Amino acid sequence: MALLEVRDVTKKFGELVANDRVSFTVDAGTIVGLIGPNGAGKTTLFNCVSGLYPVTAGRIFFDGAEVTGLPSYRIARMGAVRTFQVVRPLKDMTVFDNVLVGAFLHGAGGAQAREAAESCIELCGLTEYADKPAGDLPIGGKKRLELARALATRPKLLMLDEVMAGLTSTEVKAALELIRHIREKGITLLIVEHVMEAIMPIADKVVVLDGGIKIAEGPPDQIIDDERVISAYLGTKFSRRLQAKREERTNA
Amino acid sequence: MNHHVLKRKDLFWLALVALMALVPAVSIIAAHSFFMHVLILILLYASMAQAWNIIGGYGGQTSFGHSVFFGIGAYGAGMAVVTYGLSPWPGIGVGMLAAAAVAVLISYPCFKMLSGHYFAIATFAIVEIFNRMFLVWYWVGGALGLDYPMVEEGFKNLMWYDSKTGYYYCALVLFVLIFGIVRFLEGHRFGYYLRAVREGQETAESLGVNSTAVKLTAMALSAALAGLCGAFFVQYNLRVDPGMVMSLDVSMKFVLVTILGGAGTLAGPLLGAAVLIPLQEYTRALWGGLGGGVDLIVFGVLIIVIVVKQPAGISGIVRDVARRFGRRPGAAKGGASVGTS
Repeated sequence: MALLEVRDVTKKFGELVANDRVSFTVDAGTIVGLIGPNGAGKTTLFNCVSGLYPVTAGRIFFDGAEVTGLPSYRIARMGAVRTFQVVRPLKDMTVFDNVLVGAFLHGAGGAQAREAAESCIELCGLTEYADKPAGDLPIGGKKRLELARALATRPKLLMLDEVMAGLTSTEVKAALELIRHIREKGITLLIVEHVMEAIMPIADKVVVLDGGIKIAEGPPDQIIDDERVISAYLGTKFSRRLQAKREERTNA
Repeated sequence: MNHHVLKRKDLFWLALVALMALVPAVSIIAAHSFFMHVLILILLYASMAQAWNIIGGYGGQTSFGHSVFFGIGAYGAGMAVVTYGLSPWPGIGVGMLAAAAVAVLISYPCFKMLSGHYFAIATFAIVEIFNRMFLVWYWVGGALGLDYPMVEEGFKNLMWYDSKTGYYYCALVLFVLIFGIVRFLEGHRFGYYLRAVREGQETAESLGVNSTAVKLTAMALSAALAGLCGAFFVQYNLRVDPGMVMSLDVSMKFVLVTILGGAGTLAGPLLGAAVLIPLQEYTRALWGGLGGGVDLIVFGVLIIVIVVKQPAGISGIVRDVARRFGRRPGAAKGGASVGTS
């Protein structure tokens, strides 16, 4: 039984079709990557799944229940929590208080929530900033804050919208380490990502969107051979590089 | 990690309240009726501003309608005494509930369907509606208003004639109650959710916060407490008519005292009231002959000065000063948390 099932979801803005009958599933305990060129409809799909946008057609199921049309706070309470691509710190609140807001979801008692917030801040490497206003963080810090805040809600499914975009390669490595660690805690991940070297080695499955349509779905090693994905997104040169990396891994 | 700072801050508040409780014991002050009057008004306006601060400061929803809730509270107590010959207490309860109900009715459609400035506009409109309605409503006394009969003074009737000490302690209780409630909320889930909704509604929702419910609850609580302040006001004046309570002037006092003091901070409403109310009362006493509204002119000038110098209000100025004089490196951090938590 899949943790998340997206079934024939269509989202139109007026005449513009941002998502066209997209279907895929996310199994519990896995990492699923959602990739595609700019404007492919990845973030729109995220917004539909997290309840920020009502879908035009189609249905969404989470954890055995239909969540189509539910307000986003209800979906978050059920355990599907997302981060935002354009970071949204609660600016005038401290980093600690930002994460505490997330932690309160499953700990109305202050002490318990504070503990959870502190451990998420530590996990995301924000301890030194804890008492600073969230608006003052550098961009890398704001991305980690998004993650820490979502993590503090103790989600079943964590949906990350380009948390690695704009980070330095060292920061990307640290982020990957963190994502692996999150999975080990039993949290399922759905990740929108442009940084292919980052998503390919950690994803169990990749879903590729192009022009609002799902053009491929499968393990990363297969996706990099898919002609449609290569022409739509990866490009010949880049897919060769990824394929070479795969050979290296299998030979080693 | 913040516990140390919070405890120290709370001790400061407790010391302040203890000090205020001792004021009437100083006979020179207690005998000075006008000075006592100013102190009572500072406590009343600080309480009113703090009630507004819940939705307007922490919740970030600017309400211009609080004079309506204030008025409903005043009429609740007033009608219990004048119309029904009871003690004001049941009227206070009914008034608070009615204020909360009106607040929920007016703000539900705003929070559910509209966003941004519509809430401010809607609350603005109800002031005029209620003012006119009460002016022509025979049951509540119409334009003549309600004049209190002479009844036995004391706590039961919340009425004192000779000395202001009784009123002073009532105002102090009101102040402690409302500031205590806000202090409690600040440290608890609801307070965090309320600020989160102010800082980013979609973000808060993505973390499981039902923003409509949070704002409605804050609005209801804020209105009920404004109603309680109104009940005190009518008991103190022993008279109420629609123009005294349900007016844009009174609404603006809720907003201005809070914003000048520092919206969204615990100390802001007290700082704002402590600066503005003496100014208002002494300018009124000195230049009262110039006609009404001198106090509002003074308010207006002060707002311009403060907003230009420090948009965070007087509490922002206090914070900056504390930072400048803080010698220890930790002092700046402690000072900053006065403004944010």
